[in-house]
Formats: sequence, structure tokens, C-alpha cells
Amino acid sequence: MSPVVRFFTSVKVAITLIIIIAIASIIGTLIPQGRSHQEYLLHYGQLAYLLEKLQLTRLYHSFWYLALLFLFSLNLIICTVVRLRPKLKRALRPFLDFKASDLMALHFHHQFNLNLPLASVQQRAKEILKDHHYHFLEKNDAKGVKIAARKRILGIFGSDIVHLAILIILAGGLLSGLGSFRTDLALHQKQIAAVPQADFSLRLDSFETEFYPNGQVKDWKSTLTVLEKDKEILSKTIEVNHPLNYRGFMFYQSAYGWDWDQASLEILIKQPGGQAEEKVVKIKVGEKMVLENGIEIEALRFLPDFVLDENRQPSTRSLEPNNPAALVKITRSGESLFSGWLFGRFPDFSSLHPGKSSALNLELKGYAGSQYSVIHVARDPGTRLIWVGCFLIMLGLGLAFYWPTYEIRIWLQEELGKTTIVAGGLANKNRENFAKELETIISFLRKKK
Amino acid sequence: MKEATLFPLAFIVYIISAILYFASNFTRRDKLAIFASRLALFGFLAHSLALILRTIETSHAPFTNMYESLSFFAWSTVLALLIIEKKFRIYRLSAYLMLIVIALVALASSPLMPKEATPLVPALQSYWLWLHVSVTLLGEAFFAIAFIASILYLFAERKQKQSEQVSLALNPEKLDSLSYRAVAIGFPLFTLGGLVFGMVWANVAWGSYWSWDPKEVWSLITWFVFALYLHTRLVMGWKGRRSALIAIVGFLAALFTYFGVNYLISGLHSYA
Repeated sequence: MSPVVRFFTSVKVAITLIIIIAIASIIGTLIPQGRSHQEYLLHYGQLAYLLEKLQLTRLYHSFWYLALLFLFSLNLIICTVVRLRPKLKRALRPFLDFKASDLMALHFHHQFNLNLPLASVQQRAKEILKDHHYHFLEKNDAKGVKIAARKRILGIFGSDIVHLAILIILAGGLLSGLGSFRTDLALHQKQIAAVPQADFSLRLDSFETEFYPNGQVKDWKSTLTVLEKDKEILSKTIEVNHPLNYRGFMFYQSAYGWDWDQASLEILIKQPGGQAEEKVVKIKVGEKMVLENGIEIEALRFLPDFVLDENRQPSTRSLEPNNPAALVKITRSGESLFSGWLFGRFPDFSSLHPGKSSALNLELKGYAGSQYSVIHVARDPGTRLIWVGCFLIMLGLGLAFYWPTYEIRIWLQEELGKTTIVAGGLANKNRENFAKELETIISFLRKKK
Repeated sequence: MKEATLFPLAFIVYIISAILYFASNFTRRDKLAIFASRLALFGFLAHSLALILRTIETSHAPFTNMYESLSFFAWSTVLALLIIEKKFRIYRLSAYLMLIVIALVALASSPLMPKEATPLVPALQSYWLWLHVSVTLLGEAFFAIAFIASILYLFAERKQKQSEQVSLALNPEKLDSLSYRAVAIGFPLFTLGGLVFGMVWANVAWGSYWSWDPKEVWSLITWFVFALYLHTRLVMGWKGRRSALIAIVGFLAALFTYFGVNYLISGLHSYA
């Protein structure tokens, strides 16, 4: 065995590595990860440069953290392989080459004589071992009979299966790190977008937000259709926690947004005076319309959540239509009749603040932006390995803790119609239980008929 | 019956049960402990009913905010206590475990924890919520048992060193083995609930099974600590004092994953 391999067979090295990885991981939770250089400068001052140099700001993807994980994997492989060999031997080649003295050296052992011929003791032993679900092998020779019995042999491989599972999970992580592809698609209703790195497209058929009675958001739902060469393949409504899985790509409902740049507005124009005349005009932001009476209306801007910013300039607090406002200009043959903001929530505002002209009364009656849905696209080839690893890790833990391997070896020798019995037992876990079971088996053998 | 009456009822019963457990410990009268255990079971049933009513009232799993999750953690700890009592016929730990339960219930009842039921945010609407949280907290409840057994071990060991008489129930070897048994139950549960179910759910809800979110990292650290516990014990033959210290650190790491991360470190996992 080369010294390097010998070094990595040590459990102490494994433990040291686990401790180092744990401490490194803790550091990563104390320093915010993956922020911008400016944020680090603001927070840590000159220290930021050092942190970035040591890759502590992207610690889990840093060269040295990955190197630690690599060493850990190497250690895990070598430790497992070295320990696996004798276990495989134990499982595949049941040990029948024992002497009575070997059995007395085992942790659990019994020795006694019976006034019975060997054959009947052997019969009894087989009967009781079978009752306790042991598998066994026998060897008769001139010196006597040897019985090697065992059950739940898979239990000794529990820890190896856990180790294998961890390696598979690490391999899955590596594959994810190297081969995964992620992007966000912002889709308007009826919009079709080609899925990057795939030969199919995605169409958003509809997007809706559901609310609880108290107004809180209950769910976002996007109905998606997969298109291959303009042919509809399948449709599915995705929502948070229910992604669409198609040909290795996952599509998640990730966010949504409002597009107000081309909002459609409905504006009510009232001409006060003699015979009140009302008219609703439908217009899009950026458009200009001439009405039949020579009035020219222009929608200049729309803000969904109107607020005056620190420079007293109109701005929007959010993209939610909490305080919708439209900037409208109305002229007739070059003469300005109205120019100002109309507020959806405060219809009287423009008549109370008439500005330059009060020739017209205006109200913002309706507004509609287009809502778009943000779909997170992920193709992660590592995921499958992760699930295999998760399954194996639970299988391994189950075997290691709850599938205890029991082994019983019995040596029988007959002399003058008397049989000497030597029995020894081995259990990797759950020793008290095993001791009891062995006790039961021995007392059955001893029982006088 | 309402949750608002059953939960305080369980609280009061737990307190009385703890007092009786302590009385039994000091007077060494086992009958008292058995009576305390009956009371704990009664409190547990009232608590269970409270959780069921909460589930019906809110129509979602009873662990979506800190109040609910503390209550459920306390419930899991009582469940773990009852299982351990039944399986190992040990009552000496129960008094101290009840202190943890009372602390959790008291914290849940404190005005710091808003109790009103709020509708579920979209990210939590998943049956993985049930599986992930309940199995993880049950695993952590067994870590709590290992923690108490380990602390008692340290005291018992010191007493034994000073060659004082140690009662049979506080036999250090028994405590050491109990701590291991609790980890043997808690570790697979924590792995399944915290890591496996957590990854499956993260993959469905966030689009990635692992994001190096602080809560994820801390649950991994907790897992590492108990992996150390098992390896030092099973491969290197550590027992007693050193094993006990690792189990104590492990439970503290689990507690930090549960509480500390929420209040001290910000991340994705900001529900409870």
C-alpha cells in the first residue's frame, strides 16, 4: 500500500476533513455570499479585497472548498474500499474453518455437554436456527460437526452503502455545477419563446394571480404549451411547487411582473357648460388621437403607483397598480386645453386642480397593463444522481441501524454418546438483543427431552 | 374545545408532570414517575388535539410560522420522550426533557410569537411541507434526548469519579448507550426529513435541490456533527465523555439551524 493511500485509509483523516469542511461551511454562512463588490466594500471596507482574494465571498464554489470536497471524496472512496474487502469475504465465503477455541474467544460464547448423540443435537440446532430465520452451512468431518449460521448479512454493508450514496450525491453536485443550465424567461400572454439550448418553444397561454379573500396572493398560475416545430405537444398549468418537466427541462413559476409601458387607458372627457357632453376615449400610452370635434388627446405617460420622488419628480413606488396615474395632454388647434396627471383613485383631482384650463373635466376610468409571467428554466443533469444518492443513503442508514447482522457458529463433538457443544456469536449492532436470542437458542439446545 | 383552550391546558399539564418527575427523581419513588408519565401522555393527547384543531381551522399543516413550529417541536419532543420511556423503561431523563418542552411551549405562548393563522404563501403550498417539517423536527426531538442523556452522563461520570454512590437509573453506561440509541433514531429521521425531503422540496419549489442557503448549510453542519459522533464511536471506539460532548454540540447545532439561522442570518428559508 502506498503511503498516500495509507494516509487516506485513516478515519482520523476523514474526521479532520469533516471538521475543516464544517468550519469552512460555517464561515460561508457568516459572510453573505455572492454579493457585488460595492456591497462588500460598503460592509467590510478594505477587508473586502482580502475576502474576495481568499474567495470567501463565493466560498462554496471556491477552488479551495472544492479541493476539500475532493480530498473528502478520495478519503471516502479509499476508506470504503479498504473496509469493503474483508466484509465481502465475510459475506460471500461463510467461515467454516474454525476451532472450538476460536469460538470461546468471541464476545458471546457458551460451552456445555449433553447426554445425547451428536446427530440429534445437530438436528435440534438446525431446527432452532431455522425458527430464528438463520441461514446456515454445515461441515461434517472426522472431528465433529461445524455449523455456521447467520442472518441479515446485508446489515454489514449499511455504512458502505451510505458512503457510496454520499459519493453519488457529490458526483451529482459536480455534474450540476458543470453541466446545468438555468435562465429566466419573461413571457407575455400568447407570447412564444424558444427555450434556449433546446429545440422546442414555449407559449404562455394564460397567466393569472389567485387571491385569498383577505387580498393576500394565493398562487400564480401559468398555462404553458410546449411547441415543437409549431406543433403543440402538451399543455400544462404550472404554479409554485408544481413545475413542468419536459425532456430534461424543468419550468418553474418563479415570478411575474407588470409591463406598463404600453398601458391601454380609458379616459372620460366631460365638457362642462350648456349641454354636458361625455365621451370615453380609449388610448394607449404614447398614442395621439384626434377626436371629431377637433380635440387632440395625447397619453404621455402612465405610472401604476404614483409618487413624487425626492426631487419632486413623478415616479412609481412599485409595479403594482396601487395609485394609477396617467399624464395626459389635450389641445385644440394648437391651444392647450389640459395638461396634467389624472389619478384613477382620485377622479376629482383634475377638476379640483384645474391647472391652466378648466375647459374640460377628465377622469381616468380604466387602465390595463400587460402582465407577464417569469418562468425559471432549469436543465440540471445532476438531479437524477442526487435522487439515486438520496434513496441509497436512506437504504444504507436503514441497514446500518436497523438490520443488525447476527452470526452464530456451533461446533459439536461426540464422545461416548455424549456431545460437547461450543457456540459463539457475533453481532455488529444491537448486542443486547442478540445476547437474548443466543440465550434462547442455547437453552433450547440444552432442554431435556 | 378550541385550540386556544387545549394548548394552555397541555402547557399546565406538562408543568405538573415535570414537577412530579423531579419529585420522583429526588425522592427516588418510581410510582411518582409513572404517574408523571401518565400526565405527560394526557398533556400530549390534549396537545395533539390542539394541533388537529389548528390544522382544521387553518386548513394547512400546523407548522408554518414560528408559533406553530415551536408547538409542533414541543409535541415531537414529548412523543420522543414517551417512546424512549416505553422502549427503555427509563424515567430519570424525563424531568429534564420536560424542561425543554416547557421552554418551547412557553416561547410559543409568549407575545413575541404572533399566533394568528395566516393563509399559506404560494411557496409553502405543498405536501412536502408536512413531510419535511414533521420528520425533521421528530429527528431533532431525538437529538434532544441524546443531548439530555449526554449532559446527565457528564454529571453521573463526575459523581462516579468522586466515588459517590450512583443510583442505578443514572448509571453512566446506561446513559451513554441511551444517547447512542437516541442518535440512532434521530440521525436517519433527520437525514430523511431535513436533507432528503428538504432537497426534493427545494427542487420543486425553488428550482434547485441545493442553493447553499444558510439554513441548508447549517443542517448539513448538524449532520456532519452527528456523522462525527457515529464515526468516532463506531470506528474509533470513543465512548462516554467525548461522545457525550459531540452529542451536545450536535443538538446545539440543530437548535441553531432551527432558530439561530432565522434570527441571525438572512436567507431564502425565511418561513420558520
